[in-house]
Amino acid sequence: METATTDEQMVERALSGDPEAFGEIVRRWERRIFALAFGMLGREEDARDATQETFLAAFRNLRGFRGEARVSSWLHRIAVNQCITRQRRTKVRSETALEDEAEKNAAVFALPADVSPARTAEVRERSVAVRRAVCALPPDLRQVVVMKEFEELTFQEISEALDLPLSTVKSRLYTALRQLQMRLEKIR
Amino acid sequence: MENMNERPVCHRAEDLVTYLYGEASASEARDFAGHMKQCDACRAEFAMFSQVHESIALWRNEALGPIVSSAAQIASSPLTSAAAESSQFVHHERKLSALAALREFFSVSPLWLRGATAIASLLFCLLVVLAVARLWQRPVEVVKGGNELKYGQQDLDREVQRQLAEKLASLNSEKAPPVNVSTATAAPKNMGNRVQLASNRAQFKTPRVKGLTRQEREQLAADLRLIPGRDDEELPFVLRDEPNP
Repeated sequence: METATTDEQMVERALSGDPEAFGEIVRRWERRIFALAFGMLGREEDARDATQETFLAAFRNLRGFRGEARVSSWLHRIAVNQCITRQRRTKVRSETALEDEAEKNAAVFALPADVSPARTAEVRERSVAVRRAVCALPPDLRQVVVMKEFEELTFQEISEALDLPLSTVKSRLYTALRQLQMRLEKIR
Repeated sequence: MENMNERPVCHRAEDLVTYLYGEASASEARDFAGHMKQCDACRAEFAMFSQVHESIALWRNEALGPIVSSAAQIASSPLTSAAAESSQFVHHERKLSALAALREFFSVSPLWLRGATAIASLLFCLLVVLAVARLWQRPVEVVKGGNELKYGQQDLDREVQRQLAEKLASLNSEKAPPVNVSTATAAPKNMGNRVQLASNRAQFKTPRVKGLTRQEREQLAADLRLIPGRDDEELPFVLRDEPNP
């Protein structure tokens, strides 16, 4: 993995005082971290804030990075913790309100113009159903699903990022998929 | 959750997800594919999980666009190949309108940039409003045809002088008797209108003066202090060099 090595070199350069190095890390990983946060939190605004807080925390703890794990795993772990913290903080908000806001935010994203209105409506409906199902998952299952489906991380990477055994990651993903399948089946 | 236990579960659940996401080695994949042919539970779950994966990918791509990474890994995944036919619209590039692109740009912009943009927009709107108001208040210039006469300031002054002279001339011709015309015309021209007015006043006064008796004239002269009157002679000499007692 050339990218991982380069990320570690970037961290070394950032630690040696290169101001551009950490910016390069942010540029490389912000989209993926945002995707993770969006999958975890379900709201674009929260995902953006969590992404910023993730990189801020990473920069503050840059000296704490010892190179035992990969930079990507390190960042993902920070991001997951940030999302869980943010979820706890905003737990007062009801799930319905969260889902409504997520649906409202979803309207921002546009499908291509060549998709028919009927197909667009179908896609939107399915998308809303999936979002509701994912948001309803317990956090420990949701983070695995999001890291796998949104981040496309390997099981090994998820295991490193969450500091969990590989078998636990797989069993959690299996359970999450079963729950999602049943929820989606109910909606259909 | 409530129906989870109703479905048959195979003990090779972990192998199923490993195979599903294309992370099984070649030998493991061969082994599990052979298992699926015999295991209804695994075959059914593989199909259902493929649909779930497709649905999540749909949501992800709708919200975030496709993630360009590990494309080779995803392409080699059996799950992807199974879902490829029905998810042809999933792997598309997002086509953003100008408004959506602007919105996305602001969504990733820092707070200070958003604030500065808002202030700049407000200033711009204010300037536009001021400019419109100024244009609105400007007097409308009526463009007349080229055949109409146009008067300048000098023309107006000249015309006013002419009209004034005509008016004065007409007044003079109406009020002055023929006898005094020569007197009026004999007056130096540089004395102007004031002389003419004075002469006119004199003309009105002359008959009254001629009607006064000698006594009245003397009294008038005394009143005007043109000659020493009686009262002046009787006045005591007040100021003297002698000191007052």
